[in-house]
Amino acid sequence: MFRLFGYFIEIIRGILITARHFIVNMVFHILNLFGIKTKRKGAFTIQYPEQKTEIAERHRSLHRLMKREDGKPRCVACMLCETVCPSECIYIEATEDPDPEIQKYPSTFIIDLSRCCFCGFCVEACPEDAIRMDTGEVEFAQYNRKDMVLDLESLLNEPK
Amino acid sequence: MVEIFINDRSIKVPEGITVLKAAERAGIHIPHICYHEAFAPEGSCRMCLVEIEGHLCLELACATQVKEGMKVFTETENVRQARQGVLEFLLAEHPMDCPICDKAGECTLQDYYEQYGLFESTFMEQKERKDKNVPLGKGLILDRERCVLCTRCVRFLRDITQTEELGVFERGVYSEIGIFDQRLIDNNYAGNLTELCPVGAITDKDFRFKTRNWFLEKGASICPLCSRGCNIFIEHHPGFARFDVPKRVYRITSRVTSREKDQKEKGYWICDIGRYGYSYMDQDRAEKIVLKQGDSALDPKKAVTYAADQVKKLIYKNKLNRLGVISNTWLTNEELFLVKKIFTENLESQKVFFPTTAQREADDLLLTSDRTPNKKGAQEIGFSLEAISEGQVFDGTELLFVFWASPFDLDQLTGLMSKIKEVQTKILFTPFEREWNKDFDLVIPTAVPAEKAGSFTNEDERIQHFGPVLYSPGQARAEWEWLVSLGKEIKVDFKSYARLSSPFDVFQMMKKKIKFFGK
Amino acid sequence: MIDVLIILVKFVGAIVWFLVLSLYLTWAERKESAVMQDRVGANRANFFGIRVLGLFQPFADAIKMMTKEDFTPEFSKKFLHNLAPFLSFFFVAVTIATIPFGSPIQISGKEIPLQVVDLNVGILFVLAFLALSIYGVILSGWVSNNRWTLLGGLRGSAQLISYEVALGLSLIGIVMVFPSLQFSEIVGFQSEVLFGWLPKWGIFLQPLGFIIFLMAAMAESERVPFDLPEGESEIVGFFTEYGGLKYGLYMFTDFMKVLIISCLLTTLFFGGYHVPWLSAEGFHFPWGGEWLLPYWLVVVFQVIMFNLKVFFFCWLQILVRWTYPRFRYDQLMDFGWKFLIPLSLFNIAATAFFMSL
Ligand code: SF4
Ligand code: SF4
Ligand code: SF4
Ligand code: SF4
Ligand code: FES
Repeated sequence: MFRLFGYFIEIIRGILITARHFIVNMVFHILNLFGIKTKRKGAFTIQYPEQKTEIAERHRSLHRLMKREDGKPRCVACMLCETVCPSECIYIEATEDPDPEIQKYPSTFIIDLSRCCFCGFCVEACPEDAIRMDTGEVEFAQYNRKDMVLDLESLLNEPK
Repeated sequence: MVEIFINDRSIKVPEGITVLKAAERAGIHIPHICYHEAFAPEGSCRMCLVEIEGHLCLELACATQVKEGMKVFTETENVRQARQGVLEFLLAEHPMDCPICDKAGECTLQDYYEQYGLFESTFMEQKERKDKNVPLGKGLILDRERCVLCTRCVRFLRDITQTEELGVFERGVYSEIGIFDQRLIDNNYAGNLTELCPVGAITDKDFRFKTRNWFLEKGASICPLCSRGCNIFIEHHPGFARFDVPKRVYRITSRVTSREKDQKEKGYWICDIGRYGYSYMDQDRAEKIVLKQGDSALDPKKAVTYAADQVKKLIYKNKLNRLGVISNTWLTNEELFLVKKIFTENLESQKVFFPTTAQREADDLLLTSDRTPNKKGAQEIGFSLEAISEGQVFDGTELLFVFWASPFDLDQLTGLMSKIKEVQTKILFTPFEREWNKDFDLVIPTAVPAEKAGSFTNEDERIQHFGPVLYSPGQARAEWEWLVSLGKEIKVDFKSYARLSSPFDVFQMMKKKIKFFGK
Repeated sequence: MIDVLIILVKFVGAIVWFLVLSLYLTWAERKESAVMQDRVGANRANFFGIRVLGLFQPFADAIKMMTKEDFTPEFSKKFLHNLAPFLSFFFVAVTIATIPFGSPIQISGKEIPLQVVDLNVGILFVLAFLALSIYGVILSGWVSNNRWTLLGGLRGSAQLISYEVALGLSLIGIVMVFPSLQFSEIVGFQSEVLFGWLPKWGIFLQPLGFIIFLMAAMAESERVPFDLPEGESEIVGFFTEYGGLKYGLYMFTDFMKVLIISCLLTTLFFGGYHVPWLSAEGFHFPWGGEWLLPYWLVVVFQVIMFNLKVFFFCWLQILVRWTYPRFRYDQLMDFGWKFLIPLSLFNIAATAFFMSL
């Protein structure tokens, strides 16, 4: 019975906490509504499309493939990213490069963003630092699944 | 038998074998690179060093013979250091190409570095640059930077094929593998070099860069391309969740069975015809049952009923002598047995015809002149292959069953086509989509050997069983499945077919009936 | 004739009040939960670019619900499947008829009570119809022919049975102190004052009864923490097979229940439409002051007061809903049978004891 009592006290305290939040926030909301500037806002919400936050430096955003100095992909089609990708959303086909120093390069490189879970394992796995997720691009939703599939061309020419 | 101690474990081994082999028997792996079971020890890599009590320095496990009471230690601090040292030297000039190296994932050097190396390199010097793309012939490409000069390749061409195309040139640090002048490798066993090479120094065009070997799954099977029936692994890609891979089978590798280990010159290798001739498994496959007249969408049951009805018609008219069968030796023992059981025993037709396949050139290692897998089996089952002539089969025949599982020998059937066309009803069992399929009344898709279970009897009268490695495409099923359902449907001997639910059951039946298989 | 017309007008008025408020309760819930959680809440729905705090959100929701596919699963009984949500809705909607909004008004000599019908068994009527609304839940659970919905329906009925007892028992105390089942009379009793200054509201006479009623009523409304029949995270609930407007109707019924419970709490425990110390002539403050008002203004005050009280209880219920996690089912049953019912029995005994003094 005593335990039950303690339980009720905690329950009451819980509702007091939420009520306090409500009232305090409401006060600030009302003050702001009347144009009174306060140090604290009623909500932490960021009004997204109009207002944007700074993207952290290590934020994992849209992938891009790096280029060599001469514009060829730095990727050597080792398929390690394909192997490590937990969503199986990378697909690579390799071809022989006439240059014996390069030997192997990807003729097809597909990332299906609609499956990607942005774990960044591909970046981690790449031995050539050929794939990066530092474009800062986060708004790539599409109306069509097909448009979510990036090929070699678009991955190489990602803005940055 | 002598008793020796490896890491304080006593084992009994036959006299005269090496420490490395003895350790292998005890389940202790001693790392080795240049040593290969098929060759005499070479002793060039120094990876196999072990400590032996009473010896002043470390000894080569691959070359030292066991002695009574010998005490070997494979994991002492000395050994460990020696291994690290060897690895460090090997890797000092190694390009670390793993991302673009086809061997990565099954590379001895990689594995040993993971297991015994893991040091920080102390070399500051630039690595030596060498040729990375030397064509050796037959699609083989040599990368001299990756080569660890184990000379396995040289020894293979010297001892096994005895063609001696490769050799070690220059001396000391300048040593390199190469061909003499422009004499490219040209023998039927060159493909083994890629498998043999412990590192990724020799790669072949066929597999090069197609995929990575860790994506592949290995399935044990038997090579059906000649009557030797070499044991192989079919390495196939199970596919990705979201993307289609262009083909299923990526390469064929040799499979060493204990039985073959004693025949050094034979057991470890497969010929290039078998190694590179796998594309038929994915090309031009028949996937749908096709009935010439009537509705096109046919479920397997209807197809079997149709075939059985044709047979029954003949039975009612008492004209079973008008039933002909063209078979071939690409069928497994079990399937040939079923053919015999249904057509010769149940239906009492004598007209089971095996078109003669052209004999090709054999070589003195593995490849035989008969390029079908199961001629011996057919003979043992009781078909006398030459007894029935072409003329007899077509003589007055109204219903013809054709089993054509061979992806090759196209002209054999083309030659017969004009006569086949004249037969009233003809039914074809084939895994392939070919020009002539449209001339048949019913085409039933079947499986290639890689997709079915069964057994082949090879040239040396050895019965070799195998299981399915791949799934058969679409409606295709193995011939034995079709034959069993046909046997049931014809209803002459329903009971005995009803018991058969796998090739194994069929084989049990064969064992009882035919002495050869009962051995 | 004229009486029927008057009732009709009142009914329409009450139901419109009821529905509009329920509609905005959805908005209020979103906003309130947002403010509690330091968010802003739905504020994007606009009408030609005018947002006004997202006040158009309920309409946007309604349009969405209406334009969605009206899906009836193949394996359900079509008629009953369509009937179930309307059943729930109807039984809840009807209860508003008995709630008094203010003192009677006089129009051309005719006295019109601000109450659609003044049943002499008002309390029983409301309880009965609230309980009947569970039929919509059970029916939908059964008729959808889906195991989860059936589970939801069963949970709903079991829960209702358990808490209906406590609900009824907690009201016995009220009926004892205000000896009537008629809402207008109960409210009438509460216009008096105790000790010369304390309004004689149900809460002061029946504090324990109030608490029990509050809990049991919230359990009846089937919202978090008592939302076992829905239990989105475990069984999805009795309306799994519903979509579009019919699903919307269930949601809407939920909010109507919140509102009707607030109305009941106000009427039974918080003096209904009564403003403290305000009688028909005006305010008579306990410290001796007086502020006389015309009768119509008194009625306006009362209606506003009633609404304010109702809003407060809506706010309270939403606060509870967004504070607590869901009960486990056995806890729910324990709470109902082993805690609330004994407590309400004790409440009856205690009330009887004090009244006999
Ligand atoms: S981020 Fe993760 S899921 Fe996405 S492509 Fe890379 S490895 Fe795959
Ligand atoms: S891991 Fe890097 S180098 Fe390898 S395939 Fe992926 S992107 Fe290319
Ligand atoms: S031979 Fe082995 S270690 Fe050398 S690059 Fe190839 S995989 Fe890597
Ligand atoms: S090419 Fe391969 S097999 Fe030949 S010596 Fe070099 S490492 Fe050994
Ligand atoms: S394996 Fe013994 S020296 Fe190479």
